[in-house]
Amino acid sequence: MAQRSVMTMGASLLVASIALAGCGSRGDNSGDTNSGDTGGNAKVAKIGVIAPLSGDLSALGKGIQHSVELAVKQANDNKTIPGWTLEVEAVDDEGKADVGKNGATKLAGDDKVVGVVGNLNSSVSQQTQPVFSAANIVQISPANTGPSLTRGADPSAPARPYKTYFRTCTTDIAQGGFAAQFLIDQGIKTVATIHDKKTYGQGLVKYFTDAYKAAGGKVVAAETINPDESNYAPVVSKVAPSKPGAVYYGGEYPQGGPLSKQMKAGGLNVPLMGGDGIFDPKFIELAGSTSNGDLATSVGEPTENSEAGKKFLADYETAKYSEPSAAYGGYSYDAANAIIEALKVSLKDAKDAKSARQPTVDAVGKVSFDGVTGKVSFDEYGDTLVKVITGYKVEGGKWVSVKSANVS
Amino acid sequence: MTEFLQQIVNGLTLGSLYALIAVGYTVVYGIVQLINFAHGEVFMIGAFGALATWSVLFKGQTGLWVLPIMVIGAVIVSVVTAVVMERIAYRPLRNAPRLAPLITAIGISVFLQEAVRLFYPGAKSKLSFPEIDVVTGAALKIGGLNIQRAAVFTVGSLLLSAVLLWFFVNRTRMGQGMQAVSEDPDTAQLMGINVNRIIVIAFALGAALAAVGGVAQGLLNSNIDFRMGFLAGLKAFTAAVLGGIGNIQGAIVGGLTLGIAESMATQFIPGQFGGSAWKDVWAFVLLILVLVFRPQGLLGARVVDRA
Amino acid sequence: MSTSTADLAHDHSHDDELVKVSLLDRMPGRGSSAAWPLGLAGVALLVAGTFLSWSYTGDVLGDLSINFYPGGVQICMIALGLVALLFLLAHRGPLHRLGEWLDTAGAVRALGLGAVIYMVIVVAVISVQSGGLINVNPGGWISLLGALVLAASGLMLVSRQHRDPLFAKTSSWLEILTIIVLMALLLFGAAYALGIGDGPSFSLFLIFVATVALGLTRAGVFTWVGLIAQKNRPVLMLGAFTVAFLFPFTQGGSDENMSIATQVLIFAATALGLNIVVGLAGLLDLGYIAFLGAGAYVGATLSTSAFATIGWKPPFIIVVVVGALFSACLGLIIGSPTLRVSGDYLAIVTLAFGEIFRFTMGNLDGNNGPDLTNGPNGIPAIPDLAIGSFDFGQPHTILGITLGRFANYYFLLLVLAAFIILVFSRLNDSRIGRGWVAIREDEKAAEAMGVNVFGLKLFAFAGGAFLAGMAGTVKAHHDVSVTPDQYIFLESAFLLAAIVLGGMGTVAGVLVGATILKLLPEKLRFIADYRLMIFGLVLVLMMRYRPEGIIASQRRKLEFHEEDEGLAERLEEVHLEEAEAKA
Repeated sequence: MAQRSVMTMGASLLVASIALAGCGSRGDNSGDTNSGDTGGNAKVAKIGVIAPLSGDLSALGKGIQHSVELAVKQANDNKTIPGWTLEVEAVDDEGKADVGKNGATKLAGDDKVVGVVGNLNSSVSQQTQPVFSAANIVQISPANTGPSLTRGADPSAPARPYKTYFRTCTTDIAQGGFAAQFLIDQGIKTVATIHDKKTYGQGLVKYFTDAYKAAGGKVVAAETINPDESNYAPVVSKVAPSKPGAVYYGGEYPQGGPLSKQMKAGGLNVPLMGGDGIFDPKFIELAGSTSNGDLATSVGEPTENSEAGKKFLADYETAKYSEPSAAYGGYSYDAANAIIEALKVSLKDAKDAKSARQPTVDAVGKVSFDGVTGKVSFDEYGDTLVKVITGYKVEGGKWVSVKSANVS
Repeated sequence: MTEFLQQIVNGLTLGSLYALIAVGYTVVYGIVQLINFAHGEVFMIGAFGALATWSVLFKGQTGLWVLPIMVIGAVIVSVVTAVVMERIAYRPLRNAPRLAPLITAIGISVFLQEAVRLFYPGAKSKLSFPEIDVVTGAALKIGGLNIQRAAVFTVGSLLLSAVLLWFFVNRTRMGQGMQAVSEDPDTAQLMGINVNRIIVIAFALGAALAAVGGVAQGLLNSNIDFRMGFLAGLKAFTAAVLGGIGNIQGAIVGGLTLGIAESMATQFIPGQFGGSAWKDVWAFVLLILVLVFRPQGLLGARVVDRA
Repeated sequence: MSTSTADLAHDHSHDDELVKVSLLDRMPGRGSSAAWPLGLAGVALLVAGTFLSWSYTGDVLGDLSINFYPGGVQICMIALGLVALLFLLAHRGPLHRLGEWLDTAGAVRALGLGAVIYMVIVVAVISVQSGGLINVNPGGWISLLGALVLAASGLMLVSRQHRDPLFAKTSSWLEILTIIVLMALLLFGAAYALGIGDGPSFSLFLIFVATVALGLTRAGVFTWVGLIAQKNRPVLMLGAFTVAFLFPFTQGGSDENMSIATQVLIFAATALGLNIVVGLAGLLDLGYIAFLGAGAYVGATLSTSAFATIGWKPPFIIVVVVGALFSACLGLIIGSPTLRVSGDYLAIVTLAFGEIFRFTMGNLDGNNGPDLTNGPNGIPAIPDLAIGSFDFGQPHTILGITLGRFANYYFLLLVLAAFIILVFSRLNDSRIGRGWVAIREDEKAAEAMGVNVFGLKLFAFAGGAFLAGMAGTVKAHHDVSVTPDQYIFLESAFLLAAIVLGGMGTVAGVLVGATILKLLPEKLRFIADYRLMIFGLVLVLMMRYRPEGIIASQRRKLEFHEEDEGLAERLEEVHLEEAEAKA
């Protein structure tokens, strides 16, 4: 709107002599009326999406965006919140912290935004958290697994850094612990760990190692790779002589796939195990035919296993979005619904969207409903109470779920 | 001991790859004193050329006979890229201050990476490289050593390229022209050598070897992506300097030395500052030390004073 | 070396010019007396069209569907028409005397062609976005016709013999007034441009600005402006800072643009430091971002963040000094190889240092070295600065205008940038600066003349790094977290590109370059995926066609166009005249 005011000033300077300038009124009621499936004077509240919509990770980001759009569309169709129309405002963070912060500032500056779903990357959320917190906007991440986001720097004395931040997925602690137990149960007592020196990978390996040692396993080698490279032969050769029963990899599938393949080509014929970062069909494609037996954990029940999950996937299909819902679709859908659930309370008596921000934060902390990925509710740190992890195995070129467990 | 030999094998493989790329830096630098920063991207484009050839002509084939055609496809794409690059971007700057071509090179490098990312189908993430019989598959075991099949291909193609290159430079008119231009371009011009043509040939030659390197990397790592050129190019440049830039044998020696040094650093530097986390740091430290204390490189550069 | 190609390439560019001129001469009606009235008619049509509706639907490019109430996109055309009118009147008519100094025909030509491009894009955008040419209303067509007529008139007008504006004698109050007006326009333009929400409108505004700038350049106005800017430097500086200071007040409390503006300032401050190394001393540094990173890491580890690994928490002013000094030490280390290495090799050494810095910061996490930086996780949750009782995290209200968190940092960074600019320009004018330039031009000759080459080179590295380190300490608090992946090679390339695009060795150039590189990607999000590719292309084209940058120092310009004897003579003449005037 600043533009308009500047413009009006400029206009009056330039065309001051023209008396006609008073005709018409521009800018007051133009953009905001949407195509109108709700009654004429519904108030508008926006749910922001901040995720990588361009670049490497855009497949995941677009899935998040469309899943939120689906939730909002359903809420509007069902008139879940009487007197209000919800809209989605999607902002690209490119998976980069700086860009993410600009995007968050943009959302925070929009008075109609009452809640935000995002970010995908923990490293970006680190920078967007304070922005949303300062504006009292609730932020629910469908994908951040870094524990310090909700529990602060010191794991032994957890303290919630930002009251506005929640997440629908579980943390690396749960995944690492599950993976450790999973391997022990299979009788694998020695592993080598490799990670990619990124926030996600390193964290995962750390929590895995702690749990694995506690469960009586032994870490025989701990190495790292440079994610910019794709030749891991020296690392494989270094790990191989210690004869691990498996390799636990902290990182994402673009490196995990080739690593699995090079392990086997380099004579290290043991399964590679990873977290949700490698749980992707692309991993199997990159790892080739030798990937059978590789393992992964992912957060929650497999979406297609539950009734709600099936319905979500079917609805998503019907809505004909250009990109699939991807790994975090279900969590994003739940995150959006958690906000909508909270808005039922907070928007009821609110005179405008901005004044509903703080009540929304409070209400999100209290929501409890059955979502696509299980029961959606949050603990005192903003973490989800449901910590279901599922183990998967590559069989015949496909990920097959082996076992699910609640690790809370 | 096995570990030591194993890392030598790994190092030679990696080093051969570096050497294949490094020749391109060295040939061009020897003739026009230009660091063609975008050479790593030529290498990357070669790999994509091979993949494209395979997916267009032989999708699903795994026979060994496909490989030569893939290599030819890679070489064509790389050479065309390099020649066009020289003609459009570098030639107009031949007499410009040094900064200009270097910045142009950075620009080309970014442009090529992005062009591949945006316009090659599926290139936004890693693409898997086809598995070819004989050169990929389970490792060969020789006396406790694991040798990747693709490693044999890599080292083999370096040897073959080296022989052909030696023959070209020393036994053909064109090669001798190249030597003449690198000694003294003005005199060479007066002697009736078409300097421009020689420069184009230098670019093409480097590109062809880089393309072979691209195929080798694809086979070795079983995947390629649009970013692979940057680090590989930087390492290969290190190799070229290490061996003595402008000196073709030097590039090969430098490549192998760097490759072995890197593998050894992964295995044998003990304590907190060792291992794979620090190997790139040690590679760069090596580069700086060589540049500072022996800028002419191991074998001596052709053009010491021009640096 | 004077190979035939180089000469050929050079001749070629001359050929181009010849061809262009002869094409112009062949233009039908060239020099006819109808050209001038035609131009007036074009302006009239162009402006008249803007008062009518351009588009049937109201949701394209703002709202262009209301008659007799021009929207932003239309007002740009009114402004352009008025500028064209000014030049037409200077060509023949009431402003005849002014026209003696200016190439009015060239200006009208540029403006006309620019207007045509602008209108064609407008028509294209309207028809694409609302589905068909049918949605373009008569107003749009009238303005397009006006633009075409204006362009035709420009092509038909013949430049009169005019005097070189470099020799114009103008009274100082006029000069100062001009500067003030230009600064006010700058503030107004910046506030307006940043307020534009949608990409196409923003691009159109850029085209408008570029067209007017090109027109003024063609006319020779900027030659004169450059001259008076040099003469009235204090006024210019003061004006520029006033504009920069007033800018947050135009944002109405919104943090969106301020966030971008602070990033521009951090980037510009760093680029200014790099400009000492590259622009003045001529040493190419490809790892410069490491100095910013060093400052940021110092700022982070000495902050009160719960993730900081060092127990010492000094006041911020000390942190700034420590960060700057630490960075300067790194600069000394990186600069020390310059004793033995120069040219391209030096560039590679610096690149390697930059990469080593990034890897090291990623490694020092307790597993692969001492726990200093938290490795790849970086140091998050850095608290906002608080100097005295002034909390940078909180919005403050001044004169009824709310200034948010980023505006606070903006003012701090502005002070920092002012300091850096001061240091830069004092150095540039000093004995040290002349020493650097001497080294850049010819190291051996400089050494022979008694310049302490090694010492000055080291000083350039350390000084540049010191300034970048200062910026880094603020950046840590501004960004809230510091991670190694913010300091990749591409960032160094961007810094270099800012200098190259803007103009090496000049302050204004670097500021312009930094603004372009940080602002355009934010505003042109609709081409999001193509940004980097375009960036690469622009670098290549820039080096090919204007290697001295957008705002070039004249000395630099000469360096890149050695063959251009005309330019050299002209510069010499001006210098002589100035010297005479002083004597």
